[in-house]
Amino acid sequence: MKQSTTMHLVLASALCSFALPASAQDDWPSQPLRVFVGFPAGSSPDVLARVVTEKLSERLGQPVVIENRPGAGGVIGIQQMLVSAGDGHTFGTTINGPMTTSQRMMDDTGFDVAEDIAPVTLLATSPLVLAVASESGIDDLEGFISAAGTEPDALSYGSVGQGSGAHLTAELFAAEAGLSMLHIPFTSYAEVTTSILGGEIDAGFMAPSAALSFVEAGTMNVLGITSAEPFGQMPDVAPIAGSAGLPDDFRAELWNAFIAPAGTDEAIIARLNAEITDILGDPDVQEQMLGMGWQVAPGTPEDMAERIVVDTEMWGAVIDRVEAQ
Amino acid sequence: MSTWESLLLGLSFALQPQILIYCVLGVLLGSFVGVLPGIGAMAAISMLLPLTFYMSPEAALIMLAGVYYGAQYGGAVASILLRLPGTPQSAVTTLDGYPLTQQGRAGLALFTAMISSFTGAMIGIVVLVVLAGWLSALATRFGAADYAMMMIFGLVAASTIGATRPVKGFAMITLGVLLGCIGTDVNSGAQRFTFGQTELLDGLNLVALAMGLFGVAEVIANIRNPERQKTAARISMRSLLPTREDLRRIPLPVLRGGALGSFFGALPGTGSTLSAFLAYATERRLSRQPERFGKGAIEGVAGPEAGNNAASITAFAPTLTLGIPGDPIMALMLGALIIHGIQPGPMMLEARPEMFWGLVASFGIGNLLLILLNLPLIGIWIAMLRIPFNYLYPAIIVFLCLGVYSVRGLTFDIVLVAGIGLAGYLMTLARLSPALLLLGFVLGPLIETNLRRAMLVARGDPMVFLERPISAGFVCAIVVLLLLPLWRLWRRKA
Repeated sequence: MKQSTTMHLVLASALCSFALPASAQDDWPSQPLRVFVGFPAGSSPDVLARVVTEKLSERLGQPVVIENRPGAGGVIGIQQMLVSAGDGHTFGTTINGPMTTSQRMMDDTGFDVAEDIAPVTLLATSPLVLAVASESGIDDLEGFISAAGTEPDALSYGSVGQGSGAHLTAELFAAEAGLSMLHIPFTSYAEVTTSILGGEIDAGFMAPSAALSFVEAGTMNVLGITSAEPFGQMPDVAPIAGSAGLPDDFRAELWNAFIAPAGTDEAIIARLNAEITDILGDPDVQEQMLGMGWQVAPGTPEDMAERIVVDTEMWGAVIDRVEAQ
Repeated sequence: MSTWESLLLGLSFALQPQILIYCVLGVLLGSFVGVLPGIGAMAAISMLLPLTFYMSPEAALIMLAGVYYGAQYGGAVASILLRLPGTPQSAVTTLDGYPLTQQGRAGLALFTAMISSFTGAMIGIVVLVVLAGWLSALATRFGAADYAMMMIFGLVAASTIGATRPVKGFAMITLGVLLGCIGTDVNSGAQRFTFGQTELLDGLNLVALAMGLFGVAEVIANIRNPERQKTAARISMRSLLPTREDLRRIPLPVLRGGALGSFFGALPGTGSTLSAFLAYATERRLSRQPERFGKGAIEGVAGPEAGNNAASITAFAPTLTLGIPGDPIMALMLGALIIHGIQPGPMMLEARPEMFWGLVASFGIGNLLLILLNLPLIGIWIAMLRIPFNYLYPAIIVFLCLGVYSVRGLTFDIVLVAGIGLAGYLMTLARLSPALLLLGFVLGPLIETNLRRAMLVARGDPMVFLERPISAGFVCAIVVLLLLPLWRLWRRKA
């Protein structure tokens, strides 16, 4: 029943937008905004969205309500956003997965990124760090690569799931460094950490925030970071790019972005982009995000559209290689 | 800093008025939402999370933790009076708690549940204080092979719980394991039994399964059978008081349950579910009259309630000292800390002693409040049974749908709970145990994941299960459990 009311709303607002093309943005926002997040309350993408929407609500003078619709690596959140689309007040935030690799990993995501999603702006990016247990005695990238040797599967690494950023980054790294490592999928960085510390697996590409406290406690070594520049949360860790024989353009980052359903008024998207860009410029917000492991990354909707294309191609090539094995 | 000094630091921190008030708020709210069918700690904490942005991280954690363990007290009420467990661990409480209600002894069951919960929590606190360091190291000592064998041991040990015949018990566990296979395969990313439904990619919703199998099924059964509706009339105030026989039966199960819960709680994953089921299985095995179980044995309420409450306390050890959340609710609490820029981990005890020890002290204060609050409320809860069923049942169904919807906000799950409810009713008719199905559903996927992970890590060598000492220990225990009935049979013949 709820579905059919929503459908009526969608139809009604679609008709309205045909009839009154100009007035749509003048009094926007005329009602509370809904922002769909495809992860549970308290998760990293959720917290990030809350930091941004709290400020957004002050600026727009309307409440911004977070709707958590977790599942399928963030795909369900986007599906639900699209179901409610059409009123000009429905948006979402997403991680890079559903925008770039989910189409390859799932039989049917129920949406097409290019056709159904209107980029608003990137919010933040997060690199990954290559972590090992300090008991392993490995303390730099050369040491790691020589320990991995030329024998296939000499070292094993953990990820947060088949096709996750952590998995694909490790495969990209292995391909560039000419290694072959054994992939052990887990479901969270906490599990990967436990397994590395317990000596069960050898390594993992992890979120800096997940590894930080173990590095400080001296139980983990971090060998390199996947961003082009050193990262604020771990300023001492050198980029992998250009070290130990890896190419200078080696770069792998997860990102988080604000999106709208396709067909949302251009003016609304421009307004949101401007407001969010301003919010991300606030030093307090930047610091808060860095504490959670995210580096703000504002840009235009076009920048984000381009990032989607570039990343889809890059990760697609990695998936091709994994599938060929 | 000695343990004693730390504890004093914690107490002085937790007793500050502005911290104490959040502790009180948390346990009150937890106790309240725990009673509402389907709306558990998860929903309550999700809703409170945005509020915690404006609180100090210590106050936020203490309040959310209060909701978490407070809900365990409330959950027992719904399980005992209405056969409405919101979680697999309180499903165990229904096994004997609900029969007691049907015999007009709901007061005794509730009293026992409260006292056992309180004592269990206290045991958990003592273990946490004395062994905090050891408990947090425990999680890293357990590898995939150890987890796999431990959970198989749990399944085997609990396999005859609540079943009229062993074969029915095994059938239900197997069905639960099969239902647990629905979703995305962790190793390959392939979809299993999802029929193209995105809603099923992460598996069946556990709350929908529990609510359907127990709640909806019970409502249908009660409508079909008017006799069952008359239980409330038979409750007298005198039934509240335990007999001398009851009093003799309660203490030992509580101690054993508390000890089991303290150990398993410190292992992230299924600590509190496993400890409730194992506490029940232990009591049944140790009892001189195992046939009383499932028909209103008070030990069957005392052991598991002490177990899951002890586990809910020690579960904070890995959560705070390793940053490894034991369940989705713990993950949510970690989120509340991360918002404040605090990353729980090995430095937590040194960097923020007032947070850790303040929390531990608040457990003591909170549980004391809960028992003082809940004992007088028993009479009121029982009065709830006097509500005519034509008002009570529709209200239950509404709350249940709200609860299921609150987990993921998907209408799909509400349709699911209706379907599962129908299946659950048919199972009631066939005298099949839904509790075992839930256990299989929870443990099955974990066993599979850990078994395959252990084999992957060992590069396909099954000897890993015998080479690791913890795993080998559990393998021995499984063999003993399986051989025990055969040995008894042989001895009887000889």
